[in-house]
Amino acid sequence: MYPVSKGANVPAPPDPAPAERRRRFDELYRSHHREVLGYLLRRTPNTDDAADVFAETFLAAWRRLDDLPSDPEVRLWLYGTARRTLANYRRGERRRLALADRLRADLASRYQPPDFSGELAEVTAAFRHLPERDRELLSLVAWEGLDPGQIATVLGCTRNAARIRLHRARRRLADELARRRPQGDPPPARAFAPNGDIA
Amino acid sequence: MNPVTRISPVSDAQAAALASGDTLADLAGEIATTPAAARARRASPRSATRRRLLIGIPAAAALAVAGLVATSIGSPGQKVGPVTVGPPKAEAAALSFTRHGGYLDVIVRNPLADAKKYRAEFARYGLNISLTLVPASPSLVGTLVYASGPTTGPQIIPISAVGKCWTGGGGNVCPVGVRVPLDFKGQAYLTFGRAARPGELYETTAPANARGEALHGLSYVGKTVAQVLPLLAARHVVAAHYLLNEHCENVGSRTAPAGWYVTDADPYAQGEVQLWVSKTWPSTQQSCPGNLPSPTASPHNH
Repeated sequence: MYPVSKGANVPAPPDPAPAERRRRFDELYRSHHREVLGYLLRRTPNTDDAADVFAETFLAAWRRLDDLPSDPEVRLWLYGTARRTLANYRRGERRRLALADRLRADLASRYQPPDFSGELAEVTAAFRHLPERDRELLSLVAWEGLDPGQIATVLGCTRNAARIRLHRARRRLADELARRRPQGDPPPARAFAPNGDIA
Repeated sequence: MNPVTRISPVSDAQAAALASGDTLADLAGEIATTPAAARARRASPRSATRRRLLIGIPAAAALAVAGLVATSIGSPGQKVGPVTVGPPKAEAAALSFTRHGGYLDVIVRNPLADAKKYRAEFARYGLNISLTLVPASPSLVGTLVYASGPTTGPQIIPISAVGKCWTGGGGNVCPVGVRVPLDFKGQAYLTFGRAARPGELYETTAPANARGEALHGLSYVGKTVAQVLPLLAARHVVAAHYLLNEHCENVGSRTAPAGWYVTDADPYAQGEVQLWVSKTWPSTQQSCPGNLPSPTASPHNH
């Protein structure tokens, strides 16, 4: 491996990375790369975007290594960074990172998003009908297993706001599922058990 | 059970298994060879990572081989930076190889050749080297913007030429090729900047006001959109795309409110720039979660 240019935006020749810093980064990457890649592939079927945002997220982590929170909070920081970067990609701010070339190739050749059928297709349709903000809240609970306090950290809002928004998102999903159920089909007592400490 | 749990597209373990262990390990290594420059840039409202990979090269680590470069661009065609971008002769080689002692010096002669052609030419020398070219903003055309390879054994060294490009930091030493040891082992990945075709979006950019770029010498940060657009028009540059900073996220748009403030500009395509704009000035983006050491409560609770 050898450092190379780029010409742009280079503040000063970098110091060689101290071994200790590299060791900390390797530990962070080893502990959390699966979670970040999983997070991204659960959010986008575009494997190129997932690969690039994955690289950008850990590039940001490397650059800010000295400022990052320690485990387990650093996982939330990584989710938050990945989320914002992916949002910007979706809005057209998209850059193809050369260092993600191989990851992009691996993901493109091996990943096929699941195609749910039957009841799960219904759930998928209802879920996709929700606003993006609701989907993200529900996903952070269901897919990443976060509680409202952790969600607040990822989204950069207060814990109370996260609880309220999550509660509303769950209600909207339940309504959407009920709306799609054929008439005469009795609704379940609860669309689903609350997960977390919603009042 | 939360029904959303059941429509999870992929688990963490499944996701990680999609990429080879080598790919993931090499990516970590490549990231860790980039400069950890966040501290110097934290005061900036822009994201430290939004541009394409920005890697600095220590000037002392590069070889200045100006004579070599001068001989390598003697072919006909339009010259942009150190490479020729005009239509290449059909029989022309895409790369030039010059032996210097125990090394091969490789310069890109045709930046529009197919990646397979480069690979084939490297293979003729027994080298497993993958070369790609990406459309670059003018000051980066012909420069090596990214490279990776094995960490042990003989190493590929970038060849630099003074005055062939200008960096955002004010330097003008830029790689234009690579020096490959004859006993190089393993696989390497190289990416050069090439001239963009009309309308083609740049994939790698210097700051829009860097030397050689469309807005060099122009002052626009802190001015309103209404003030900046005439300055661009005077240079025949179009603001083709905007990123509106709202609630700590950048929203892409073809238009922007005239009274908003320009916080930054990127080269976008030939004769086009992308403007970063904010409703307030000075920008408040520093307080966004992603620009802090860790995500903390933001004033925007949506």
